[in-house]
Amino acid sequence: MGGGGGWMAAAMFPDEVWEYVFSFVEGDVERNAISLVCRGWHRIERRCRRRIFVGNCYAVSPQTVLRRFPEVRAVTIKGKPHFADFNLVPSDWGGGASVWVEALAEACPQLEELRLKRMVVTDDCLELIGRSFRNFKVLSLTSCEGFSTAGLASVAKNCRNLRELDLQENVIEDNCSNWLSHFPESFTSLISLNIACLDGDVNLFILERLVSRCSNLKTLRLNHSVPLDRLVSILLKAPQLVDLGTGRFSADSRPELLAKLESSFAGCRNLKSLSGFYEAVPAYLPTIFSVCDGLSSLNLSYATIQSAELTKLITRCKNLQRLWVMDLIEDTGLEAVASSCKLLKELRVFPFDPYGAEHVSLTERGLVSVSAGCPMLRSVLYFCQQMTNAALITVAMNSPHLTCFRLCIMEPHTPDYLTRQPLDAGFSAIVESCKELRRLSLSGRLTDRVFKSIGTHADQVKMLSVAFAGDSDAGLHYILSGCKSLKKLEIRDCPFGDKPLLANASKLETMRSLWMSSCSVSLGACRLLAQRMPRLNVEVIDERRGGPLASRPNDCHVEKLYIYRTVAGRRSDMPACVWTL
Amino acid sequence: MFALCDSISTILTFMCFDVLSLARFPSVRVDMLHLMARVADRQGCDRISRKEMAITKPEAMKSYIWLQTADGSIQQVEEEVAMFCPMICRERVQSGMGSSKNFAISLPERVNPAILSLILDYCRFHQAPGRSNKERKSFDEKFIKTDTKQLCELASAADSLQLRPLVDLTSRALARIIEGRTPEEIREIFHLPDDLTEEEKLEPLRNATNDPRIRLLNRLYAKKRKELKERQRVKDDEAEDQHVDERSVDELLSFINGGDGDSKFIRSAKNKKKNRRRRDLSEEPSTNELSNKQKESTSYSVGFHESGAGISSNSARNSEMHYDSEDVFPGKLEFDDDYVDDELDPAMKEELDREVEDFARRLNSNWLSLSQERRLIPNIMNGNGLIPRCEDTTMLRCCEEILLDQRFAAFATYSFSSVE
Repeated sequence: MGGGGGWMAAAMFPDEVWEYVFSFVEGDVERNAISLVCRGWHRIERRCRRRIFVGNCYAVSPQTVLRRFPEVRAVTIKGKPHFADFNLVPSDWGGGASVWVEALAEACPQLEELRLKRMVVTDDCLELIGRSFRNFKVLSLTSCEGFSTAGLASVAKNCRNLRELDLQENVIEDNCSNWLSHFPESFTSLISLNIACLDGDVNLFILERLVSRCSNLKTLRLNHSVPLDRLVSILLKAPQLVDLGTGRFSADSRPELLAKLESSFAGCRNLKSLSGFYEAVPAYLPTIFSVCDGLSSLNLSYATIQSAELTKLITRCKNLQRLWVMDLIEDTGLEAVASSCKLLKELRVFPFDPYGAEHVSLTERGLVSVSAGCPMLRSVLYFCQQMTNAALITVAMNSPHLTCFRLCIMEPHTPDYLTRQPLDAGFSAIVESCKELRRLSLSGRLTDRVFKSIGTHADQVKMLSVAFAGDSDAGLHYILSGCKSLKKLEIRDCPFGDKPLLANASKLETMRSLWMSSCSVSLGACRLLAQRMPRLNVEVIDERRGGPLASRPNDCHVEKLYIYRTVAGRRSDMPACVWTL
Repeated sequence: MFALCDSISTILTFMCFDVLSLARFPSVRVDMLHLMARVADRQGCDRISRKEMAITKPEAMKSYIWLQTADGSIQQVEEEVAMFCPMICRERVQSGMGSSKNFAISLPERVNPAILSLILDYCRFHQAPGRSNKERKSFDEKFIKTDTKQLCELASAADSLQLRPLVDLTSRALARIIEGRTPEEIREIFHLPDDLTEEEKLEPLRNATNDPRIRLLNRLYAKKRKELKERQRVKDDEAEDQHVDERSVDELLSFINGGDGDSKFIRSAKNKKKNRRRRDLSEEPSTNELSNKQKESTSYSVGFHESGAGISSNSARNSEMHYDSEDVFPGKLEFDDDYVDDELDPAMKEELDREVEDFARRLNSNWLSLSQERRLIPNIMNGNGLIPRCEDTTMLRCCEEILLDQRFAAFATYSFSSVE
């Protein structure tokens, strides 16, 4: 019913009309708001929700989700905590996708899209997907593991209407190198294919045949096994491509190959995004000059090319919005970027040699020049060796509309190299100036003072990453008692202990998750927290395997702690090293 | 109506009446003409078409349709305008209704006269040929610039009339109103009831301790618990034990006072009595009815029953009153928000509630002078950064702020003792 009495009485506003109104509201947050308005809307909304996002696969059981949303068509699920990317989470921690895929297979035959991130996906899962969903269109796996190319083969064979197969940064066992041949000859619906993370060889003949018959193909990201000369023929078969990930971008210097490559790129008039460039050599970079003008996204993070050549390429890309590059570009290169790429929104600078002694000329100056020259800058990921407060303050002034700021000074506890002060002032300036900041990663030498600023000013920050920072419990307390929008907090190697956790226990229920490793949390505090907060799962991870947890004293130190809110209770698939209190 | 139609048609056919010739007789009623035309159509007679009718008949005889809304009122509407609505069109063609006042087409209940008039404006504009897309768009944009209630009525009415373009237009407008708003705002805009329970939500979204009084009491208790824990570690200092049993209230109130041991206050008989009562009550947890918002407190109350007893026994065991200005955290910092989302026996809470209110009232007269300083601590007092919706008087909020900020502790001691 439309509502209580008054002008929203049921008879006057039937469910179908509200449903139709809701169909124009797509975002998860908005849909959640609608479902919380009143009973009537809750009922109507749940029956017509098509897309679901589950940020933590253990926060809710698949049965609950599917019971509530019977008409779902697209599901996105995330598993392991983010710090799994840095090998801080035991490999057997969990995040299995089977339980979800099985539940979907049973309850949701109309499923069309499945996107999984940091989950363990088995070949059985993939096979089940292929068998269960008649109209399956999109499979996207990011940072997943546990499957092989045999599983991909079953997807290729069974998903007759597949439009998108997107594999990003997965660990995939290669036991079926011909898996592409399992796409039937009649299969032409592919729009997007991303196999860049595949390690092994790909059957190039099959690949080309697939590309030629899928005339709607818009995204094609190849892996490093595809040589440059085959790229030519692929491009000739698919000049309609919008997003291309090249294979190996190197070959001996052959003039005819250069010419062919150049002309095949020139034929791609719709190209907006380029990536790949594995083992790139400068000689072949000019072949893409003709498409530079139309590029909005350029990923050179695998291209070990020196600054001068990189600069020559990037400065031609006047409409570039996203640039991912290695720190080989150096300050001079970034200055050039700042003067040429005025539409730049996102910059990511990755370290070429993170642990080496080699000194690369990429300093805080590069970042400052980009922030000064690119008024549209919104998202920054910057790896560097040194930083100053002055630079950070300048960046804060130049780019008040930043939504994502991740600074990674490689060496922990590095202070401002000019003044030897902690970087508190710099990061404080960032949070004070950038009112729309949603994601923040800290690094360098930082005291509790910076956390006070963050707690006070970072109203929109949803995800905060802290490492090797702070002096005392106060730091964590500032974060947990402030940061109104905080949803994900991950902390490593900081002197934060029990008190701020216990004092802000209810805050944890407003967040998706908290990760703390190598801090100063005791088992007793975890026990107390778990007891107080029935809707939190407090997981203690101890890989030393020093006996059962129950026998350990309260003052026992907790090495890794993962706390997340859940309505599904304690999970049942924990390995030996994980305990839920 | 059909019977009449059939009999006339028989007559006409029999008599080979020429409808066209009939039209020349002004005495022939308009409705009869319409009827004739329809009969002619039905007989497959194409001697006369609507267009010809329009040309030959005088202006006064432009086609009209009669529509009746649920309240009984009947309107006469230009035919081409009304026929823009598929539902009306279908009614007209299939059942033949609408040609006269007595046989007006009954519109669905969701269409009231005011809304009908608006819808007809819409139809009148859009059915006219020769309008550019830009004009139509401009008209639409102006059309939806109305209050939400009317938008809803329009959407609903348009839906019942199957007028798809208008349903789209109004639905999109409503969607835009909904987007970006919190559930409370949406509820207010659309006058919807607040009737959801906790169980019906997928994830808990609200902080269970949104009620400032609950938070306040939690803080009091948390402080106390913290002290108990600290004290259990510090085995010495027995000598400072001036205060005996009846721990809870005394502790709380002396902590309110800044803990400098305003012993006169602590020993008041009134407090002792209250404390005793509280301890009795703690043995029987009762249902929680503290929070206005049931959905917030449902899960919260689960914890009450489990540890209500535990807390009181702790308080009984406790042997010393030692509230110094110890922060939870080592450095000298100005916040004091170390409360725990504690479970409290509801009866105890009521007691504490009353005491706190009492205390706040006493402070009220002196509180006003602190209104400057109050502004400095908004972030500190909100453990989760949520602005407390103080449904009660500002006195309670003042009280909360006072308790949390040690700067006021001394002041509280002063004012309290002056009142005592």
